[in-house]
Amino acid sequence: MIEFSGVVKRFGDLTAVHRLDLKVEKGEIFGFLGPNGAGKTTTVKLLTGLLRPTEGTVKLAGLDVVRDTTAAKKKMGLVPDEPFVYPKLTGVEFLRFVGDLYEVPLEAQKKRIPELLEMFELRPWGGELAETYSHGMRQKLVLAANLLHEPEVLVLDEPLVGLDPKSARLVKEIFQTLSTRGCTLFMCTHVLEIAERLCSRVGIMISGKLTALGTVSELKGGKDASRLEDVFLELTGGSEYAALLKHL
Amino acid sequence: MLKVLLDRKAASLYNSVRSLTAWELGRNAAFFIVGFWMLFGLHVGFFRVLAHIHKVELIGPLLVWKLTGMTLLTTFSMVVLSSLIIALTTLFYSFDLPFLMNAPVPSRVVFIEKSIETTFFSSWMILLVLAPYVLALGRVRDLTPGFYLAFASMMPPFVVLAAAFGMAFTLGLMFLFPSSRTRDAIWLMSSCSMGVVYVLLRLSEPEKLARPDMLAVVAEYLNYLQTPTAPWMPSGWMTRALEAVAKGDFGASFWKPFSVLWGSAAAVYAALVLLADRTYAAGYSGAQESGRRHRSQDVSYYKEQEWLAGWPKAAALAVLLWKERKAFFRDVKHWSQIVLILALASVYLFSIQRLPLETPDLKNLVAFLNLGIAGFVISSLGLRFTFPSISTEGRAFWVVKAAPVGVDTLMRAKFLFTLVPMTLLSTALVLMSNHLLLADRFIATLSFVTILAMTFTLCGMGVGFGSIFPKFNIPNIHQLESSAGGFVYMAAALFYIGLTIAFEAWPVQMHFRERFGHPGPWDYLGLALCGACLVVLNVVAFALPWWLGRRHLETYEEK
Ligand SMILES: Nc1ncnc2c1ncn2[C@@H]1O[C@H](COP(=O)(O)OP(=O)(O)OP(=O)(O)O)[C@@H](O)[C@H]1O
Ligand SMILES: [Mg+2]
Repeated sequence: MIEFSGVVKRFGDLTAVHRLDLKVEKGEIFGFLGPNGAGKTTTVKLLTGLLRPTEGTVKLAGLDVVRDTTAAKKKMGLVPDEPFVYPKLTGVEFLRFVGDLYEVPLEAQKKRIPELLEMFELRPWGGELAETYSHGMRQKLVLAANLLHEPEVLVLDEPLVGLDPKSARLVKEIFQTLSTRGCTLFMCTHVLEIAERLCSRVGIMISGKLTALGTVSELKGGKDASRLEDVFLELTGGSEYAALLKHL
Repeated sequence: MLKVLLDRKAASLYNSVRSLTAWELGRNAAFFIVGFWMLFGLHVGFFRVLAHIHKVELIGPLLVWKLTGMTLLTTFSMVVLSSLIIALTTLFYSFDLPFLMNAPVPSRVVFIEKSIETTFFSSWMILLVLAPYVLALGRVRDLTPGFYLAFASMMPPFVVLAAAFGMAFTLGLMFLFPSSRTRDAIWLMSSCSMGVVYVLLRLSEPEKLARPDMLAVVAEYLNYLQTPTAPWMPSGWMTRALEAVAKGDFGASFWKPFSVLWGSAAAVYAALVLLADRTYAAGYSGAQESGRRHRSQDVSYYKEQEWLAGWPKAAALAVLLWKERKAFFRDVKHWSQIVLILALASVYLFSIQRLPLETPDLKNLVAFLNLGIAGFVISSLGLRFTFPSISTEGRAFWVVKAAPVGVDTLMRAKFLFTLVPMTLLSTALVLMSNHLLLADRFIATLSFVTILAMTFTLCGMGVGFGSIFPKFNIPNIHQLESSAGGFVYMAAALFYIGLTIAFEAWPVQMHFRERFGHPGPWDYLGLALCGACLVVLNVVAFALPWWLGRRHLETYEEK
């Protein structure tokens, strides 16, 4: 469903993504891990057409994201790391806006918008300007907008940051349901527990290079006792944090 | 503490000067040169008016001081009004405020620093325009350096007084009306009153000063001249002090108003700081709250969908237009600007009507040249509304960028959204001017068709250049107007207007030959040539920036 082949992204002399080759199959929940500044958000932007690769191609359902932009974007939804929405639109109007951009029929919108607001507990705020929303509320609004147009591929950049425990649980359940319905999820996260519980496969990116790829148990190397956190820290050199702590 | 805050300003100024690129340096130099010549032109104009008035028998000097008093009063009220508006952003919505308010700095210090900033920003431009006037006054009356020195020494208290009044108003407003809806309403009202003041100033017909014959009774006129304009205002004190100095009198008649000015500035500013102690922190916290208002949660058809119903693939365009309309009219800042524009338009038409034009030929000529001024008005409004429209997507730009619509649809929506009101305004201006000037059929038709094309092209240029130079994350959208892109847009727009007038000058000349009864006035080959040039000009001026902007947005990557 998603296919990166030989993707390189450079910002000036900084190589943010270094020859990325990656395939994600339909219905998978793919977890994308890595330390801060590894290039996860950059990869997400390459996938959603917000950035253009310096080299290589990104394909989505067989469509080249750069050449068949519109067709590819029609099948895709995005929850960016910072959920900026139009401050002067209300929640309902934002959903309406996204619904029309993605050509969701009016009848479906009439039915779905109140349902989605209800589900994310945004109903009391639906008629208020988004500039009055909290971070978590905007995050949920963007998620609701993505569910409204039912994408085949949902790209999520740290979707759980800022959500309260109840909403986080809800969102995790939503992801699982979507995946069983055949939606492909590509998700960046720092929460290893999510990667472990939800993701069918995970990839770990370090300094722009995909250094590990596989199911969680494959990454653990069969050792049931070890935790994903240990694997992650080992790969990213995080075990030296004692040395860092001495600056405190 | 205050020093730490001011040092920070100095450091960031130093850094931005040091990091100026050659392009920016060149642009600033260009700004500087253009600005200098504009001020010089203003000086020449002031000088000629003052010299003319000064020569009026017997009452010449009286007239000059009367005019000076009026000028200073205008200056004073303009500083009050602009500080009132600027204070809102500097005192309450600056992006460094959350940081400063959290830092261990007393709020009084923050206020003092921000009040200095407000005073500076609300007065520098007005003072820059006043300087050529004072210079002209000095030249007309052959005044000594002492006069300029006295003037310069009175400027600081004068400006501080004016800005203090404006800031006190804003402080009080924010303190008394923490709920933002009331505040918005009051804000709108005060900008309406600003528009009214502006119109009234124009309607008070200062040009009457130069025509004593217009005031019926001479004695009444003399009386009018001798009473100082608003003697209880700081501008009145200043006029009296300047008048004394001009006579070479540095005695009591100078010192008294001089010390009253300084004394009251100090007192008023101290009172302002005390007021701020009680109200600033509370007002700031109120400013953080946004208005709560429940709007309808209905999901239904909107007007744009009906309007564009028959068009193929217009669904995305319709929804973008709808969003634009909603977002635009919910911002009170836009409302107050619209009020000001309407005031400006009425002053514009009033001035046209008052032009002392004797013959119909002259009137027709002015009706033609009026196109240039109308074009200038449209392009300056474009700098404020059309050019920034792409950038107003702001940090939410990703929504459209990730959606299955091309950037050209977004551009088209922005274009159509500004085109409609701009066309209404520009045609209204031109039609009304033509009516007032009794333009003949040729000039009326020509100017109507031209202004339609001009508005269309200028709006396209605004969106095009706005897409070539977008800025999606600046704290204040008005910064775009003085950005490099804004400068390029404005320069290109003025060049386009100039060329349009130039290409039409020949046909207009033929028309005048016909009016004057010359034989065979029409050169049809020339007409065709000019027409072709105009078509090419409009196509290029529209399509080139549009195409470049579209390509830039398509490949746009945030920095
Ligand atoms: N527009 C840009 N211009 C220049 N450099 C950039 C740009 N965007 C990202 N970078 C750089 O690319 C690298 C990868 O950044 P990216 O945002 O992809 O990291 P990330 O993995 O998402 O990190 P985090 O976990 O903190 O979100 C960083 O070094 C960053 O400084
Ligand atoms: Mg990131």
